[in-house]
Amino acid sequence: MQQELTRGAASAAGHPHQPESHPPDAITVAGLRKSYGSVHAVRDVSFSVRHSEIVALLGPNGAGKTTTLEILEGFRARDGGAVEVLGLDPGDRSAVRDLRERTGLVLQDIAVEPYLTVRETLARQAGYYQGPRDVPEVIGLVGLTGLEKRKVRSLSGGQKRRLDLALGLIGDPELLYLDEPTTGFDPAARRGAWDLVRELRATGTTILLTTHDMAEAQALADRVVLLNNGAVVAEGPPERLGGRDNERARISFTLPPGVPVADLPVPADIQNGAVVIESADPTGELQRLTNWAVQRDITLSGLTVDRPSLEDVYLRLTGGGAPSGAAERSLR
Amino acid sequence: MTTATLPGRRAYRRNRLGMVAHQVRYEQLSFWRNPQSAIFTFVFPVLFVVIMGALFGSVGKSSYFGGLSALQYYVPTIAALCVLGSCYGQLAVALAARRQNGVLKRIRATPLPAWTYFIGLLAHCVLVSVADLALIVGVGRLYGVPFPSDWAAITLTLVLAAASFCALGVAVASVISNAEAAPAVAQLVLFPLLFLSGTYMPIHSQLLNQVAGWLPVRPFNEALTGPLVRHTGADWRHLAVLAAWGMIGAVVAVRRFRWDPRPE
Repeated sequence: MQQELTRGAASAAGHPHQPESHPPDAITVAGLRKSYGSVHAVRDVSFSVRHSEIVALLGPNGAGKTTTLEILEGFRARDGGAVEVLGLDPGDRSAVRDLRERTGLVLQDIAVEPYLTVRETLARQAGYYQGPRDVPEVIGLVGLTGLEKRKVRSLSGGQKRRLDLALGLIGDPELLYLDEPTTGFDPAARRGAWDLVRELRATGTTILLTTHDMAEAQALADRVVLLNNGAVVAEGPPERLGGRDNERARISFTLPPGVPVADLPVPADIQNGAVVIESADPTGELQRLTNWAVQRDITLSGLTVDRPSLEDVYLRLTGGGAPSGAAERSLR
Repeated sequence: MTTATLPGRRAYRRNRLGMVAHQVRYEQLSFWRNPQSAIFTFVFPVLFVVIMGALFGSVGKSSYFGGLSALQYYVPTIAALCVLGSCYGQLAVALAARRQNGVLKRIRATPLPAWTYFIGLLAHCVLVSVADLALIVGVGRLYGVPFPSDWAAITLTLVLAAASFCALGVAVASVISNAEAAPAVAQLVLFPLLFLSGTYMPIHSQLLNQVAGWLPVRPFNEALTGPLVRHTGADWRHLAVLAAWGMIGAVVAVRRFRWDPRPE
């Protein structure tokens, strides 16, 4: 993903598709509802995405992320609530063509035909749009340069995912949906994809992504919308989600052999074999603790001080480590 | 803003016909590169005619074959079989697979109109059918089956049959939700129908022929046999039955076709 991103004259002049006075938000969702039979997939979802913003939809499996995305993409009809995407209603059949011209989509499944080459796959897709990006440019953007003539079937899983990403970009969308975009990427490719997403935002593309990777949400998203049981349970910048910035710090270390917990100079718990001290005053408590240890010539191995991670907040707000979300992450 | 030439953009504005041509071009590329399709389209029909030639090559005109020579009987039925395979069979299997692996959903997410996609598929299937027919007629010539003369009737029959069997293929793909089941279901429907319709051997039961006459395969065999070897023109009665089946397929396809692998 070494190539410089150019959106033609658009980088300076704003997106060419965009009308002069566009609505303030790229996406607004208010009171969205959708049921499948007796299953309430989406009960009450409201959020908005501003232009040129990266928003991550988080939540365990079955939280309603995919259904919400599919309603926004115009694949599914909603039961209730208001939805506006780029000023259009995706539930309105006459708006769908225009919407598809202006939005790009990267789905979870690798959906590419095996017998075409990389370049052919992209040229085919480019032909569906009024104003697509240049094929070689997009190949460069996703880091597939040199593989243009390779058959898709001979690409590695990560390379196929990058081709998928390229297919989402080829129409030069104003709004890009990324459904778990970096699943199957190696760490370097993942960094590269993150850089690309940031560059896209810098040139005016709005991005709504779903992910189970908290590091990805933390690294990419301007804002996170956390869903659970079909409703929004928290929303905000990743570093402040769920009051995370105001929470108590956590001091942890391995309990030295032969020392009972009760002997420690500060109140402590044992969690997963490690001592954990939740503290509103980490500076003072850390000093008491280390003085105590130094006087007794005890080493506090594995000593760390941190605040709750995005993952901790996520697990707390979605029902405390419910195995459904965790299981999927470990599988992928 | 000067919009004369935006670097990084190319004017892809094209008319609808151009869009269909674009679609057909990539369908063809994808198809011919798949060794399986190449084998079934080229090797299978040639092999079939050669086997029939070896078995019955010396059998001249006989009442068993309805007053035709064995090869005159088999050239049209094998051609019909190949058109069935490349329209009905191909589409039923390929569309079910494309839906399952998300290719259809991805196409749905682009501005490509649905009808352009299907017209493109139909045009692709007609092209493959034409290649098949030409090949079989060519090989048949080696076994003494003379070239036909009424190409207009043959073209009409071929296009109508391709359209009808494409519609039926899309209909079957619409009804099957599981891509693994698609080849089995498609074959399960087709195989008894082929026997019943005299594709493999002439049927001399009045009753069976009457029943098969209202099903899609026998009318196609008959409609091809006329202009291909009997030197009669377009067989309107049988073409009407074919067209009716095509309409039924189209109605089912339009009502039941899904792009999304997950049911609503």
